[in-house]
Amino acid sequence: MKKLLKLTCLLIVFACTAMAAPSSTLAEPSGKLVIFHAGSLSVPFEAMEKAFEAKYPKVDVLREAGGSQACARKISELKKPCDLMVSADFKVIDKLLIPTYANWNVRFATNQLVLCYTDKSKYANIINENNWHEILQKKDVIWGHSDPNLDPCGYRSLMVLQLAEKYYKKPGLYNAVIANRPKENIRPKSVELISLLQSGNMDYAWEYRSVAVQHKLRYISLPDDINLGNYKYDDFYSQAVVKVTGKEPGTFMDIKGDSCTYGITLVKNPPNEEAAVAFLEYLLDPKGGLKVLDDMGQPPFVPCRVSTPEMKKALPVKLQDKVEVKN
Amino acid sequence: MKVKEPFFWVNISCGIIIMVFILLPLLEMLTAPSLSMVKETIKDKDVVRSIWLSIYTAGLAALFSFIFGTPLAYILARTNFVGKRLVESIVDLPIVIPHPVVGIAILSVAGKNHWIGEIFSDVGIRIMGSVTGIVVVLTFVGLPFYVNAVKSGFENISPRLENVSRSLGASMTSTFFRITFPLAWRSILIGIIMCSARAISEFGAVVVVAYHPMIAPVLIYERYEAYGLSYSQPVAVWLVSICLILFLVLRILTLRKGKSS
Repeated sequence: MKKLLKLTCLLIVFACTAMAAPSSTLAEPSGKLVIFHAGSLSVPFEAMEKAFEAKYPKVDVLREAGGSQACARKISELKKPCDLMVSADFKVIDKLLIPTYANWNVRFATNQLVLCYTDKSKYANIINENNWHEILQKKDVIWGHSDPNLDPCGYRSLMVLQLAEKYYKKPGLYNAVIANRPKENIRPKSVELISLLQSGNMDYAWEYRSVAVQHKLRYISLPDDINLGNYKYDDFYSQAVVKVTGKEPGTFMDIKGDSCTYGITLVKNPPNEEAAVAFLEYLLDPKGGLKVLDDMGQPPFVPCRVSTPEMKKALPVKLQDKVEVKN
Repeated sequence: MKVKEPFFWVNISCGIIIMVFILLPLLEMLTAPSLSMVKETIKDKDVVRSIWLSIYTAGLAALFSFIFGTPLAYILARTNFVGKRLVESIVDLPIVIPHPVVGIAILSVAGKNHWIGEIFSDVGIRIMGSVTGIVVVLTFVGLPFYVNAVKSGFENISPRLENVSRSLGASMTSTFFRITFPLAWRSILIGIIMCSARAISEFGAVVVVAYHPMIAPVLIYERYEAYGLSYSQPVAVWLVSICLILFLVLRILTLRKGKSS
C-alpha cells in the first residue's frame, strides 16, 4: 500500500513538472492585459482587442476608456494596476507619467478636428466649410465642446476657433463664437457630445475626425491650416494658446497649439509585461494595429516615432526596430 | 438574547465588521486632507456654490416626490387592483437602472428628436445643462425611496380610523388631511430624508444630463480629474459632513416629535 502511495506521488510530481516545463520555455503571453486609453480610441481599440485576442487566445485584454488626463491620474494618483496607457495627446504622458510612472513615449497616430452635426441640426442644409463660424454665432444654434481642463479635444476645439480668426482674417471671431456657447454646453469628454447630437439636445459639436467617421456623423472638414491635423503647420498652430487649469485650483497654465498626436507608453513595473510588449508589437505593426487606425479615419505614423535616441534605447528590444527618432 | 450564547457573539462581531467596513474608508477619506486644505477649500466660491446647489436640488426633488408621490403611495397602501404589482415594480425601476442609463433616457426624451423635447424647446424649458435638468434627474432616482417609505407608513395606519371618520360624515379629502396625514407625517418625513439622501449622492445620471452647473459630486469628480485626489478630497469632506449634520438634525427632530405625539 505504502509503495503504491509513493509511486502515485512520484507520478504526480513527474506529471506536474512535465506540464509546467513547456509553458515556461515557450512563454506564450497569457493572462490579463490592462489598457487605459483615450475615449476617442474606443472603436479602433475594440477592433484591435479582438484581433489581438484571436492571435493570443490566452490573453484577456481589459480596456478602460476615459479622458486622457483622467487615465494618467488613475495611474499616478489611484495607483490602479495598468500595463499600457494610450493618450490622445502624447504630452499628457510627458507631463503626468514620465519619469515616475513611465520611461518612454511613442507617438503612433494623428487626428484632426472636425465640426460634427446631424440631419436634424439647425441650418444643417446650408452649413459648409466657409460659413460654419457664422452659423455657430446664431442665437438659436446650440453647439459645444469638451472640457479644456480635462480633455485634449476640448482645448483643441478652442485652438481651432482661435486659428480660424487668424486664417479667415476676422478679428474678434473667437470671442463672438464663444459668446454663443454657454458653459452648460461643455462636457467632460468629447465622446459624450455625440449622444447629445444624436438625441437632438445639441446641434453642433467639435470632435476628432476619427470619432465622426466611426459614429457615422456628418461633419465639416476644415483647411489644414486650422484643423490641427498636419504637423507641417505646427508653426501656424502654435499661435493658438489656450489657458487651462494648472496643478491646483486657481492656477492656470497655457497650452500652445500643436498637431493632434497620440502617444502610448508602457507603465513601469507592469503586471503583465509579456502581453503588453506583444500588444505593442501588434499595435506598432503597419499591417496590424496601425492599419486598423488608418481604416477608421485616424492616419498613423509609419514608422512610429520617439523623440530622442535615449528613449529609443529605453524601449523593449523587440520594439526598437519599429520606431524612428524624429521630432 | 442571552449574553453567553455564541449566537450573541456572532451577531455582535458581524455588527462590528459592518461598522468597520462602512467607517474605515470614510474615515480614511475624511482624515486624508490637511486641516488647512479643508479650510482653504470652503473659501472657494465654486465649492460653496456646488454644495448649495446639491442641497437645494435634492430638496426640490424631495418636494416634488412629496407632492406627486404621496397620493400614489396612498393608493398603493389602501387599494387592491389588477396590475398593482406591476405599478409597484415600475416605481422600483429607477433603483435598478444603471445611473448613466437614467441620464441618457431623460436626455433622449428632452431632445428635439422627441415630441416632448420639441414642446420643451418651444416653451423655453431646457433640460440639458440646467438646474431643471438636475432636479428632473434627482426626482427620478429619489422617487422610489419616497413612495416606498410613505406607502409602508400608510399601511401601518389602520383603515378603521378612516372608516370611523367617514361614517361620521367627513369627506375622503378631509379624512385624509385630518386623520391619515397627521398620523403618517413621520414616515413622510423619513421618506423625504431617504429621497433627498439618495438625490444628494447621485452622480452618474447627473453628469450625463448636466456637467455645468456643477453639483458637489460632479465638482468632486472634476477636481479629481483636473487636479488629482488631494484637491477633490476636501470637497468630499465638506459634502459628507454637511449632509451628515443635516440628516442627523432631521432624524433627531422626527424622533423627538414622535415621542411627544
